[in-house]
Amino acid sequence: MIALWRQYLPQFFQGVGVTLELTALSLLVALLFGFLLALARLSGWRGLVLGATVYTEVIRAIPVLVLLFLAYYSLAQAGIKLSGMTAAVVTLGGFYATLYGEIFRGAILGVDRGQSEAALALGMNRRTVMRKIVLPQAFFTILPPATNQLSNLIKDTSLVFTVGVTDLMFQAYAASSATFQPMDMLLLAGIVYFVFYLVLSKFLTRWELNVQRRRG
Amino acid sequence: MSNDVVVDIKGLAKHFGDRVVFDNVSLAVHKSEVVAIIGPSGVGKSTLIRCVNHLHPFNAGTIDVLGYHLQGDVAPSKPMLRELRSRVGMVFQTFNLFPHLTVLDNIILGPIEVKRLPRAQVTERAMDLLAMMGLQQRAQMYPKRLSGGEQQRVAICRALAMEPEIMLFDEPTSMLDPELVGEVLEAIRRLAKQGMTMLLVTHEMMFAKDVADTVVVMADHTVAERGPARQVLESPQTERARAFLRRVLNPGLSSDGARRQRGGV
Ligand SMILES: Nc1ncnc2c1ncn2[C@@H]1O[C@H](COP(=O)(O)OP(=O)(O)OP(=O)(O)O)[C@@H](O)[C@H]1O
Ligand SMILES: [Mg+2]
Repeated sequence: MIALWRQYLPQFFQGVGVTLELTALSLLVALLFGFLLALARLSGWRGLVLGATVYTEVIRAIPVLVLLFLAYYSLAQAGIKLSGMTAAVVTLGGFYATLYGEIFRGAILGVDRGQSEAALALGMNRRTVMRKIVLPQAFFTILPPATNQLSNLIKDTSLVFTVGVTDLMFQAYAASSATFQPMDMLLLAGIVYFVFYLVLSKFLTRWELNVQRRRG
Repeated sequence: MSNDVVVDIKGLAKHFGDRVVFDNVSLAVHKSEVVAIIGPSGVGKSTLIRCVNHLHPFNAGTIDVLGYHLQGDVAPSKPMLRELRSRVGMVFQTFNLFPHLTVLDNIILGPIEVKRLPRAQVTERAMDLLAMMGLQQRAQMYPKRLSGGEQQRVAICRALAMEPEIMLFDEPTSMLDPELVGEVLEAIRRLAKQGMTMLLVTHEMMFAKDVADTVVVMADHTVAERGPARQVLESPQTERARAFLRRVLNPGLSSDGARRQRGGV
């Protein structure tokens, strides 16, 4: 089994690279778009609130795989051809944006009103209040559930092998078809996914602890 | 006290939904005047001073603050509102210090972000203010580590760092342990001596009598009585003001006080 693993290691590494890239890009899209969704829902402006709310409620209720196929196959039929990678980033980013949006919105609403009142009373504009007062305090509420969703995102990237993205899952699948040892190859993939998550969550937890200690 | 009116409230009305907080409140505050606002809980004292810097929009009437005009049911322009607020300091019952910033950063944030002053200059002024309050040693600490009295004095520094012309205080000592009340009142008293114009909501009657020029008694959704502090507190003219003062000055005689005594507090 070890020998087999060694033989396929180069492809695996390539797959790991693709999975990492996909995770990073999707996360970036999800964070940015999610933040915009949260701001839109908090804006109090009717059209924006409605649009963001409908988007959130609809998208998060649809399985990621369905969304992925819609983005890849159905859009292609409609004349919009996305590469597998683009479709994957759009889908994962667009889906996880709804989850991150809700995390952000909840955390922002959770910051004591007195905080923004004190900042507004000094004459700050709403943007500064958000940037300097509300968001730094929302950060700790955001971090744990955001880390959680990140682990889900990493796992969901494995769905993209279905649209031909040569990620870790794709390589594991290809290798197991070639060697007729699906257990071994998928096990290895599973271990790599786990290590990913472990490293990331350890890092994020350490970060959170550090900042908290500093604020004594 | 001089003759320039710096806060002029006329016919102010405020309701939350169907609930009328107050109706037709008028009050003029002169430069360097200290106005204490007293009255039973829930009568709208906090709401009233929050209208002055428009933390609460109001439904009718007008407020002129330092020449800025606020009108009921009209949204003021944002730049004007920010300018107004930068010249009117506010101190809250619950301090509302920013917990993620050090004491020093709490104080300098406003001048840096709002007035765009250089950090070095603002820091110097902040340290002077802290020294005035005897809190230099606390500059690099986070608010959580300070006592309530210290936090409230930092909050006063934070407001003063903007060099406001008017200060609004909303029950600045009511969340404090009794032994910490004095240090905060002392800081406010010093400000009064320096000629700061102040609107102060308080339950500290002795302090009001001592420091305020004018006392306003709110009752039944409006101003029940206003006049020179000593006169209002010692010989109130209206029945509603008399009733309120009887209750707070002789708590043992009221049903409220009786209940408290039975409870052994
Ligand atoms: N955001 C709000 N929404 C609805 N009602 C409110 C709101 N804020 C205050 N009120 C109501 O308005 C009334 C006046 O409240 P306010 O806080 O101004 O009273 P207060 O005189 O400051 O009382 P206290 O001495 O207890 O601080 C109260 O009945 C309160 O319940
Ligand atoms: Mg109040």
